[in-house]
Amino acid sequence: MGEPKPVDLDALMAEVRERIRTKREKGIYGPDVDALMRVPLPGGRRIFSDDLQDPLASLAEVLDEEVEYDPRSRKPVVGPLITYARKVVISLVRWWMGAILERQERINRLLAAVYDYEGQMAPRFGSRLERLEREWKEWREHEVAANMHSVYFQARFGGDEPVIRRQSEQFVDLYKGRKRVLDLGSGRGIFLQLLKDRGIGGYGVDLDPKMIAQCREKGLEAHEVDARTHLREVEPGSVDGLYARHIAEHVLPGDLLEILVSARRALAPGAPIVFITPNPKTLTVGAHTFWMDPQHLRPIPPDLFRFYLEVVGFTDVEVRSFEPTETRLNEDVPAGAIRENVKLLNETLFGDRDYAVIGYAP
Amino acid sequence: MRVHQFHPTLAPGDAMSNHVFALRKKIRHWGYDSFAYAIDAKPGVADVRSYRRLFREVKPDDLLIVHFSMGSEVVDQLAKIPARRVLVYHNITPPEFFSGINPHAAAFARLGLRQLSRIAPAFELAIGVSEFNRRALVEAGYEETARVPILLDWEHFAVPPNDAVLARWNGLRTVLLFVGRISPNKRQDDLVRMLAYYRRCIDPEAQLVLVGAYRDQPQFHARVVALVERLGLGGAVHFAGSVDDASLLAYYRGATAFVSLSEHEGFGVPLLEAMRFRLPVVAYDAAAIGETVGNGGVLLRERDLAETAETAAMVGERTELREALVAAGEKRVEAFDPEKVAERTRQVLGL
Repeated sequence: MGEPKPVDLDALMAEVRERIRTKREKGIYGPDVDALMRVPLPGGRRIFSDDLQDPLASLAEVLDEEVEYDPRSRKPVVGPLITYARKVVISLVRWWMGAILERQERINRLLAAVYDYEGQMAPRFGSRLERLEREWKEWREHEVAANMHSVYFQARFGGDEPVIRRQSEQFVDLYKGRKRVLDLGSGRGIFLQLLKDRGIGGYGVDLDPKMIAQCREKGLEAHEVDARTHLREVEPGSVDGLYARHIAEHVLPGDLLEILVSARRALAPGAPIVFITPNPKTLTVGAHTFWMDPQHLRPIPPDLFRFYLEVVGFTDVEVRSFEPTETRLNEDVPAGAIRENVKLLNETLFGDRDYAVIGYAP
Repeated sequence: MRVHQFHPTLAPGDAMSNHVFALRKKIRHWGYDSFAYAIDAKPGVADVRSYRRLFREVKPDDLLIVHFSMGSEVVDQLAKIPARRVLVYHNITPPEFFSGINPHAAAFARLGLRQLSRIAPAFELAIGVSEFNRRALVEAGYEETARVPILLDWEHFAVPPNDAVLARWNGLRTVLLFVGRISPNKRQDDLVRMLAYYRRCIDPEAQLVLVGAYRDQPQFHARVVALVERLGLGGAVHFAGSVDDASLLAYYRGATAFVSLSEHEGFGVPLLEAMRFRLPVVAYDAAAIGETVGNGGVLLRERDLAETAETAAMVGERTELREALVAAGEKRVEAFDPEKVAERTRQVLGL
């Protein structure tokens, strides 16, 4: 008999947690089950193990508790005698009990004082925590230059409206006949307008109140809310299409996956989902133009993005790239190795600048 | 030289008493006269002497082993008998577990802990049956300490499993088993709460079997029964009481997982019994439980009832995982092989 194969407990626990998460999502494990598991032991005082669930609250209660003792005996015949004897004993030990109680009283007061004196136990804990929170927030802002004035920036580097419209147009047909398409990060409402022109129902969400106002002026439906929050809160299956142009590169991979997971929940079966993002496979994009926006967190290779969609469960996932770079090497050279090489260079250096990953809700 | 062992009560089916008897058997096998003494020998145990004889019979060159798991006035007297005195500590459940539920037990536990410290100087050696217990001995002021596990005796399980019990439980999809006295520190209440999750989220037919005496803690037992009713689990929780070896064996064979949410164990014999009888173990890591289970089962570091239930479900239902755990469990039991433990005991006691 050889050594038994060790059981990978970490993997097991990861799977256990995943199961619980899924059950929570599906509503099998709801607050009602939580409530069942928190029912205290009926029929008397809370037991110590229950107290430990919330030690501070319990401590406050226990410190205030009056200790009671009922000396009466309920036994027939000898009962009164026992009661009398107990009372005698109590009166005899009263002074001793008093001394013990006095000591306990001191302990209680000291404990209460220690509890109130939180500052002593961790000097300036509160202010240090505050500083950490402030620095963390600053760091997050600096990382994406959040303070840079968005209007000036848009004016200098922002996309050209006709270009955006032309790019978006090629995807509108995917949503033909849909009733409620969601545009994540709807911006000035260019895509929403395209939908409206074709009689497709849609609405947008965006973080920028100025953008929301612009949309509403044009009679387009838009809400000022964070994409993640909105997708979490929207009724499951109530959206029948999702379009997100230049959103994915602004969030961290974990956030992107969260968006995809809640999008899957929000989308009706068969609804199309389209994400458009810069194409880092083209080196001039990945190494240069991608970084022209300090709010871009990290480029996403097309194959990885396709994988994300597939992992989350979207079907028929495809990648479509477009918008070739204008500067290119001249391919007008004699056929053969040189032309092949030039083509390859063009593809690698000056290929398509954006790509779309397209999938369908299962 | 003769070897005398004392514990206030000796009862059949009790892990501690089994240890006393298994040790007596070994010591006799090594060629010494050996006897067990108790104040209260329960019906069903044979060959136990009254503790009073200890004061007459122990000679100065005899070895007196005092098993300690509760306070007793007699122990104060035994500590004065001239002989080689060794204490074996099986742990005392901390009094706070009984507060609000059984003031009597809490008072006894408090007295026991105080006595443990008081009698420390009277013993030339103190043995903890787990590292957890050994550390408690050091804290209580014992200078010479050693860790020697409980001496298990598998022979009394050499009986065919009880057919009626097997027939009742075998073949069900989920039968969760816990073996141990019904007591607040063993947290049968949380097992019941965990079952509520299990039946709502995993298997609506799941059953929980609690094997163990409930006479010691009638208040707690009554409240756990009330909890079962409150959670609508009547019919799904089975209090088996204390059972004989044949039935216990059948429970181990019929269950799908052994689940422990106990918060205090000095050793945890049933954990090893489950492993020995090929039942996968899922246990919350507290007190000595971690060192007993080792890598022979799933140790839960977080006390989370939903996670416990899901783990028990995976362990029960996934053949490959189940087999790996059963194999790991059997391997783990080998570490507590009675022959090895006996050898270690002999060495520590200098016999």
